[in-house]
Amino acid sequence: MTSSAAVSRAKNRLLIGAILTAALTLAGQVYAEDNTGPGTGAANGNGVGLNGLSSSVISRAPASPVEEFSKQLEDFQKSVPDLNKEIQDSAAAIDSATDIDKARAAIDQLRGQVSTLLAAVSDNGPVSQLGFKALAHIRAKLKILAQEQRFKLEERQFLVDQWQRLQAETENAAKELGDARSQFAGLLQTLQSNEDFIDELVELRQAEKAIEVIKNLTRNIRDASARLNRLIGSIKPPGA
Amino acid sequence: MTLTKAHAVGLLAAVMVVGGIVVAFWPSRDVGYVQINTVPAAPITQAGLYLDATKLAPIRQGGTLLRQPIGTLKLQAETLSGERAAICDIVVKRNRITTVTVSVLERPPRCLCRFTGSGDPKDHTCVS
Repeated sequence: MTSSAAVSRAKNRLLIGAILTAALTLAGQVYAEDNTGPGTGAANGNGVGLNGLSSSVISRAPASPVEEFSKQLEDFQKSVPDLNKEIQDSAAAIDSATDIDKARAAIDQLRGQVSTLLAAVSDNGPVSQLGFKALAHIRAKLKILAQEQRFKLEERQFLVDQWQRLQAETENAAKELGDARSQFAGLLQTLQSNEDFIDELVELRQAEKAIEVIKNLTRNIRDASARLNRLIGSIKPPGA
Repeated sequence: MTLTKAHAVGLLAAVMVVGGIVVAFWPSRDVGYVQINTVPAAPITQAGLYLDATKLAPIRQGGTLLRQPIGTLKLQAETLSGERAAICDIVVKRNRITTVTVSVLERPPRCLCRFTGSGDPKDHTCVS
């Protein structure tokens, strides 16, 4: 009886300990997520998070910055088709809406979806930040290798070649992420300016014109979404 | 496994404490974006710009897009004497982009808002 009570107590303590650990880890991840900026901070210390896109990489054991960037980029790429599907569904909802209020609500929701994607690739977003860190790590490695005396010349050359290959791949991925960033930003700007125009039209009681603007907007969204899907899908994570 | 009342209370207290910690560190979901373009565009611009208290990283290829909490931010530029001078206010709205162009050739740099809201060229509050 006494031993069964002791076992029960131990189990309860284990359960409480596990919950505490899990929750503290989660809190730590959330905190860490917003402190992954480059040296100067890139204006990212304002407590802004990203709905979970970056959490997976932070929760793993420390890997090299290049690996982290590559993994985060792959995770982001995997999340894009689903989010893109949501964008396409929202576009369909806007297209089929005959009520302007519903269409505006759908545009507002769509801005949220695009914003989620943009958050990942903004200059102070987690994917871009890891890209900066990866490049800084590679440059530091190349600098060290240039003075390295432990290896034979051909061994050193082999390492330098490999790091330079990774550097080229990382720079390329970062550049393509920059292109994606511009397109996401363009899409968000299109949405906001159209939304403002629709508001003005509603104020002028130009409902028909507003519906026409909404229909045109959905075509643009579908095109932009398909382009972004292709663009992000084609980015090659370094070392992959 | 049986939970006594004391254990249940302990568990609840632990969950509440931890929940409080999580909430305290949980980031705001209300975010918007600030697009800062610099003219003339250069591969890297070291303009010494600050958004509120945070110094911006050097701006690459004439532009940077930053995720920010919603509200009004003060864009400041470092003067030659090292002090900071406010050059404009930037209003960040939820899931919207506010664009501002900074002319870095001038001392201190000058803000050119894409939209000011009021239409007044002397208005130094940029809106989306």
